[in-house]
Amino acid sequence: MNDMRAVERDVDIHELKMQARGVDVFYGDNHAIKSVDVDIEDKTVTAFIGPSGCGKSTFLRCLNRMNDTIDICRVTGDITLDTENIYDPKVDPVQLRAKVGMVFQKPNPFPKSIYDNVAYGPRIHGLSRNKAELDEIVERSLRRAALWNESKDRLGEPGTGLSGGQQQRLCIARAVATNPEVLLMDEPCSALDPIATAQIEELIDELRSQYSVVIVTHSMQQAARVSQKTAFFHLGELVEFGETKHIFTNPDDPRTESYITGRIG
Amino acid sequence: MTDATAAGVPDAPRKSSLYAADARTTRRNKAEKRFRAYGLSAVSLGLLALVLLLISILSNGLSSFRQTYITIPVTLSAERLDPAGNRDAAEMARVTTFGYVPLLGQSLVDYVAAAGIETELGAQEIGGLISGEAPAQVRARVLANPGLIGQTIQVDMLVGGRIDGFFKGRVSMDSAGRDSNVSPEQLLLAQALADEGAIVTRFNWRFITAPDASDTRPEAAGLGVAIIGSLYMMMIVLVLALPIGVASSIYLEEFAPKNRITDIIEVNISNLAAVPSIVFGILGLAIFINFAGLPQSAPIVGGLVLTLMTLPTIIIATRASLRAVPPSIRSAALGLGASKMQSVFHHVLPLAAPGILTGTIIGLAQALGETAPLLLIGMVAFVRDYPSAPLEGFFDPASALPVQVYNWTQRSDPAFVERASGAIIVLLVFLIFMNAMAVLLRRRFERRW
Repeated sequence: MNDMRAVERDVDIHELKMQARGVDVFYGDNHAIKSVDVDIEDKTVTAFIGPSGCGKSTFLRCLNRMNDTIDICRVTGDITLDTENIYDPKVDPVQLRAKVGMVFQKPNPFPKSIYDNVAYGPRIHGLSRNKAELDEIVERSLRRAALWNESKDRLGEPGTGLSGGQQQRLCIARAVATNPEVLLMDEPCSALDPIATAQIEELIDELRSQYSVVIVTHSMQQAARVSQKTAFFHLGELVEFGETKHIFTNPDDPRTESYITGRIG
Repeated sequence: MTDATAAGVPDAPRKSSLYAADARTTRRNKAEKRFRAYGLSAVSLGLLALVLLLISILSNGLSSFRQTYITIPVTLSAERLDPAGNRDAAEMARVTTFGYVPLLGQSLVDYVAAAGIETELGAQEIGGLISGEAPAQVRARVLANPGLIGQTIQVDMLVGGRIDGFFKGRVSMDSAGRDSNVSPEQLLLAQALADEGAIVTRFNWRFITAPDASDTRPEAAGLGVAIIGSLYMMMIVLVLALPIGVASSIYLEEFAPKNRITDIIEVNISNLAAVPSIVFGILGLAIFINFAGLPQSAPIVGGLVLTLMTLPTIIIATRASLRAVPPSIRSAALGLGASKMQSVFHHVLPLAAPGILTGTIIGLAQALGETAPLLLIGMVAFVRDYPSAPLEGFFDPASALPVQVYNWTQRSDPAFVERASGAIIVLLVFLIFMNAMAVLLRRRFERRW
């Protein structure tokens, strides 16, 4: 009997995908992130919440080393992807970013056709051997981003001609086309209306079946709706990290409670 | 909320009518009206200056595209042109241009007599109607085709500059009376020949194709060598300045670390754009001619000097258009796992291309109109031979359009005023063409995001 229970629990607790230990981020002299430890599990949606300027986006950008592009930014501590340290000197950030995809706050499709937007990642990473395979990847990615039905007859049209919500879904399709293991989303719905937001949230829930998703959001309702794990950041510190249900119903830290109830932030 | 309470209770609003403008509003509206008037007058002043400039250039210069020709039969007598009688080009070349002068003069005298035109002029003065350029042309034609000797052929010749001026209204009977180069009687004869149909004024291709001519033959002067020289220089500038400028801008803007050295480089590039162009001429003279030993008056040196001059313009324009590409495009590419170089070449550069092309074309247009540095490297020389085809042609002496304008305005014969204005028109047409191309390219490639 006991054995059976153990198996059940294994299914519920997913494999660890990324692990951050003692991460500090400095922008010049500004200590933006202070010793953050987070575990990101596979096939789970992890939400980062917190007031503006608390460092949640900065931390998200550490996970695929997008902060490398900022000259004055310095990151210390360990972040591992499947036990490999992503800040190891041997790691090429280009390879890392193919595994850890990113969707940005503002929809930013390339001013190219819808097809070329999605096909760009597979092309530069050589994921397809011929046109037919590439077509298949594009279709699969657009289907996964719930954009196929709207776009299948206009793949040649510019991606910038889509509506805001469609553009964001195109960006998600573009990100999943490279077959990443982790998908980072930096406030993906902040520029969208409620209907488009609902579509994206539904999409995030579906993506969970294949990827580990990390989402930064300003909306606590959104975090509660889509995530299984939640991390609350405040003034560069990770205040609390745990099951979403736990954080929203029975937070351990008084700061978390005051943020959730709207007293700070 | 907190701000409102901190400011205390605001005063109760004063009652006033919306129909009556208060003093403050009236003053503000007047100031705006005044500013609009200033702006409008500034624009009209600029337009007026432009219109006056165009009118003066067009009225002076358009006539240079028409030229007066005389067509008469000329008998190429064998005893004069081929004394040896063996039709050998080398032998015939011994008869110089001066040997042809009396031949043409006599032909005209004969034609005048045959046409029954009364004149008191002697043979010398009748022959004076024909341009000094004509004998050389007939000689060249005969040497190229010795079979013509002994035949009577219709020859199409330029008339002298004064006679040409008479048909264009530049020379009148009055002015001819005071002029030692032409007499009123010659003008009368020319008028009679025109009535006869022998002298006609028609479109002048030679102005665009022919090389420059000496001070005494304005009627023969053309822009051929200058246009080729300018064209060669533009080719050199384009081939050198575009890749160097774009490569250095991309490096500085996208790859170079932001530190003291790159700051110094940036300041220096901006300063170089403001350096007077004649300084580049001195640099070219010192480095390319005196040190590197390149030939004087050659398009290669002019092209190199103009490249140096154009580079800052191209770099500044390119950097500005690279900076105008939204950073979200770069992050999108990087986030997908593109390398820095892929993100620049696949996404940033295509979006910046219209700006880069516009900057390049404007830089080229600037270089095309530049005179001062070319004077210093010897492109003022009097060049009558066309440079050969590239690449050797780059090392042959040539002139340039703006230098040709400068050159012609220095000459005493008033016919050169017309030529210089005509050359300015040609230069302007090239510039307008280039600017139109810049606008067109920008429209064509402009993308919105």
